[in-house]
Amino acid sequence: MKMAVFLGCTVPVRNLSYELSAKRVAGELGLELVDIPDFSCCGYPVKSVHHETAYLLAARNLALAEERGLDICTLCSACTSVLTEVSRELATNEILLDETCKSLGMLGRQYSGKVKVKHFVRVLYEDIGLGTIEKAVKRPLDMFRIASHYGCHYLKPSKIYDGFDHPEAPESLDRLVAATGAFPVDYRTKKDCCGGAILGVDEETALSMARAKLDDISNRGADAINLICPFCSVMYGANQRKIGAGLNVKYDLPILYYPQILGLAMGISHEELGLMQNPIRPRALIAKIS
Amino acid sequence: MLQDTGKEPRIGVYVCHCGLNIAGVVDVEAVRESARFLEGVVVVRDNRYTCSEVGQKGIADDIREFKLNRVVVASCSPRLHEKTFRTLLEKSGLNPHLLEMANIREHCSWVHYDNHEAATGKAKDLVRSSVARARLLQPLARTKGRVLPEVMVIGGGVAGISAALYLGGMGIKTYLVEKEPSIGGHMAMLDKTFPTLDCSLCILSPKMVEVAECENIKILSYSEVEKVEGQVGDFRVQVRRKPRYVNEEKCVGCGDCAEKCPVKVKDEFNRNMGTRKAIYIPFPQAIPPAYVIDEHNCRYLTQGKCKICQAVCERGAIEYDQTSYVETIEVGAIIVATGFQPYDPRGLPQYGYGRFPNVITSLDFERLICADGPTYGKLKRPGDSTVPKRVAFIQCVGSRNEASGGAEYKIDIDEEMGSSAGSRDPKAYCSRVCCMITAKQAFMVKEKYPDAEVYVYYIDMRTAGKGFEEFYQRGRHEGIVFLRGKPGEIEEQEDGCLRVVSEDLDSGCILDLVFDMVVLAQGLTPPEGLVEFAQKMNLSRSEDGFLMEGHPKLRPAETAIDGIYLAGCVQFPKDIPDSVAQAGAAAAAAAVMCSKESIEIDPLGPVIDDKLCIGCKLCEMLCPYGAIKVELTDKGPKAKSIEVACKGCGVCGASCSTKAITMKHYTDSQLTAQAKAILEVV
Amino acid sequence: MESVRRKDVPVVTVLDPKFKYEVAREPGGENIKYCFQCGTCTSGCKVAELDSKYNPRKIIRMVILGMRERVLSGDFIWLCATCYTCHERCPQDVRIPEVMNALKNIAVREGYIHPAFRAQAELIAGHGRLYEVDGFANEKRTDWGLTEIPQGCPEVAEIYGITGLHDLLSGGAGGKV
Repeated sequence: MKMAVFLGCTVPVRNLSYELSAKRVAGELGLELVDIPDFSCCGYPVKSVHHETAYLLAARNLALAEERGLDICTLCSACTSVLTEVSRELATNEILLDETCKSLGMLGRQYSGKVKVKHFVRVLYEDIGLGTIEKAVKRPLDMFRIASHYGCHYLKPSKIYDGFDHPEAPESLDRLVAATGAFPVDYRTKKDCCGGAILGVDEETALSMARAKLDDISNRGADAINLICPFCSVMYGANQRKIGAGLNVKYDLPILYYPQILGLAMGISHEELGLMQNPIRPRALIAKIS
Repeated sequence: MLQDTGKEPRIGVYVCHCGLNIAGVVDVEAVRESARFLEGVVVVRDNRYTCSEVGQKGIADDIREFKLNRVVVASCSPRLHEKTFRTLLEKSGLNPHLLEMANIREHCSWVHYDNHEAATGKAKDLVRSSVARARLLQPLARTKGRVLPEVMVIGGGVAGISAALYLGGMGIKTYLVEKEPSIGGHMAMLDKTFPTLDCSLCILSPKMVEVAECENIKILSYSEVEKVEGQVGDFRVQVRRKPRYVNEEKCVGCGDCAEKCPVKVKDEFNRNMGTRKAIYIPFPQAIPPAYVIDEHNCRYLTQGKCKICQAVCERGAIEYDQTSYVETIEVGAIIVATGFQPYDPRGLPQYGYGRFPNVITSLDFERLICADGPTYGKLKRPGDSTVPKRVAFIQCVGSRNEASGGAEYKIDIDEEMGSSAGSRDPKAYCSRVCCMITAKQAFMVKEKYPDAEVYVYYIDMRTAGKGFEEFYQRGRHEGIVFLRGKPGEIEEQEDGCLRVVSEDLDSGCILDLVFDMVVLAQGLTPPEGLVEFAQKMNLSRSEDGFLMEGHPKLRPAETAIDGIYLAGCVQFPKDIPDSVAQAGAAAAAAAVMCSKESIEIDPLGPVIDDKLCIGCKLCEMLCPYGAIKVELTDKGPKAKSIEVACKGCGVCGASCSTKAITMKHYTDSQLTAQAKAILEVV
Repeated sequence: MESVRRKDVPVVTVLDPKFKYEVAREPGGENIKYCFQCGTCTSGCKVAELDSKYNPRKIIRMVILGMRERVLSGDFIWLCATCYTCHERCPQDVRIPEVMNALKNIAVREGYIHPAFRAQAELIAGHGRLYEVDGFANEKRTDWGLTEIPQGCPEVAEIYGITGLHDLLSGGAGGKV
């Protein structure tokens, strides 16, 4: 299986360990991820400012993948949502495709509507499959309790995701965690949003949203949060200390990207998965495993 | 006779204004003029109301004066006035089948209200194509059909029971078919009824007994309709009689068998909250008052040993060797009263039904508060059998819901919810009864537990009905708090209590409350299997999925098929008095039909040319009604039409590879002429 | 004669009946007129729970009533976290986050843009991404065995030119922002 990996804006600069571990794990599981250096921003951040621009940015990225005859595998949930939405729109709405092609033509590009988009974790869940993943596990992580943060755009709006998991009762991440031998922690605020999208508009509210989940997860005695989106990572990783400082609380909740969790279970060393490069260094966790 | 198809067609075209219904959009004069010089047209006119006395007289006069032998009326749907104009032709000495109608209202002015020019163009096209077909119309002889003075009522809920009693009371032999072991339907499961708080079974069971005692009514319980053939006045219905394994005549309902039966299973009548035995009676007042063996759970029927019930039955009523069989019943009319199934809230997993034991539905609540229910009338929450002190009701669960995200989720949560689990797909319509059911249930909680806190979350309270608003007022006076604002989600806490967050629209606050129990006011959805059932009966369904009435205003208890009538929730959700009223209307319509000595039958159906038929059996395979069969004749295998079973759908004619089959009144040449004319560029 | 009004009662005397149609014409705004004010959206909204300025139901109400200026100039429309919880649950398929996007799109054309969103849009125009991939970043990537990423993406700026966003942001060619 071969797909174009779409890194988006944040991952290649701020979440290198996510990219590194995803590529490492993918290689082991027979998923070849191809870099397309010309990819730009997916378009999501400008959707609320200028719809047409967002759609055209997304369409250009789709066109780049189509030139190479590849479907897209994303690492960021927001990229997943806008690229999926636009790919589906263009595949079914001929008028929009025509108009889009006219604009792409000005850039010397074309698009015929063939590219499909899937989040990396959804590829693991649906295409690689839990069975294969379980078989690849060499070092079950049964000493860890891991709370999954699904985030929003991985599952919603559900109508663009073929109902592969239910946004009101999601289970894919928990099952993927369980496949590594770790204990998937259930918690009340599991479905809630990280608040990242309004960080620049109302920091107080955004951080409060993140905090509600940090509290909940900490209280459930989780060893780490399982993340699949760099946007959410900003809230729980980079901003974890900031949230704590404002409250005079010291959170020490490591965040792990799912491919890091899986990689550890597959017996890959923490160095190769970049664990120490994560925004919260999971020292205790690494000690426990080695 | 004026009509003579040998002569050149002499066609009169009448374009109707229908007040402004058509004329407000379509340029009627232009349509009239467009038809003036069409081949065969002798006279064209437009009328304000063609169906009026004046309009009809005009046509009759023209038939005489211009010696018309074909009439084209461009007006509304033939479903409304075809009969009117056919009668007019007949009175004027023309064969009624020499009428052609162009529907320039429903198919034109109403749907194209925003484009007058295009609508006028389309009306011209429709009229031109109708004239083309009219030129080729042939007079057809109607046949006389017998009318059997007997009626079948399908469905033994309160609507079916009422219809059967009306008919029986008129002296009409009536078969009441019920798929469950007892008649009674959903009403038998209710504890009380709104707004009077009558005990549901107290008012229903006398009617059930009356049914049992009425000599004109035969109850076919534990039976399902498999096939319907024939037409108005003369239906043949095949009814599958499921084996009870208990002789209905011999069983006196003493209950010795159930007492000794060693097998306990979940009781579907109690919404799986209690248990029953493998030999059981659904509820004490069941009619017929006979026990039934659940063949999927009976130890003898599944494992070949036990027979305890047979040993204890003093009357020798247990018959393990009963088998299912088909009984064919001939009736003149059919009333469909197959009811509804409650919405299954597992389709909205945010409310946790099926995952959180203390989230129940309105029907579950009825059983929980009923003296005959699993808790003997004590309201106990299923999670831990404690009496809830804080109870919330959420309205419009599965109703007034256009789409929930729009996705088809692949989700499975606890499949064991029992037979009464309904559709999970939320419905756009208002289910009409849930506001009052909720008001009643909230009231009942307060009545039994005055200290309980009772909250009702609603979008709009709909209390249009006799005594309804007064009941709602009484509920408020009792201290029930009605909250405008629908919660998006229910969260379960570790103690089994339920957290509900909502926006209270009236105070502007976000309410974050915890309840011991939450009752979801589930909507009403079409009964299970209605799609297949409608196909069997050739009935249409409306967009909401329920069976379509003959006319939304004027034929609410009829269907588009003569001789088949509707009663109760199978047409649309309604409360008990409305179901009973509709049952009365359906019974009256069926009785009118059955009082006729004979009826005229439209001569539709296939004409088979033996010379062309090669006996390939394609028609036989495709006919949905088994109305055409290939038989061996002295000229080889030939298709034969079985007229009584034929519904005139035309599949055989369309599919015949050698063009041996021609449909009467819809001949290939007529339809081709019509199609060609409509595609003609003018 | 001016009627006597209490200070704390917001009294609205002029409504723009066309506003709801304007929003319905925007991508994502199509279903706004179906709203029957059930409050399901607000009940599950984490932002609304923390900040009373943001109430999706009320915003939709204001649109349907036609309080155009108030909605477009308000900072509350920028507070939607686009978590899509309400979108999933809305019984009338109003697609609230998309409605908010529609409102923000109109607001931008009318000269109202939240500074954070303007900054994002400008960064993307400049670098092709939200974050610049400079030499330092690429060095780090190479150290890690990851491919280098080109600095900047001129086609993105071209796209801004094609769609007119460039003009909108720079205030030229009729752009007001």
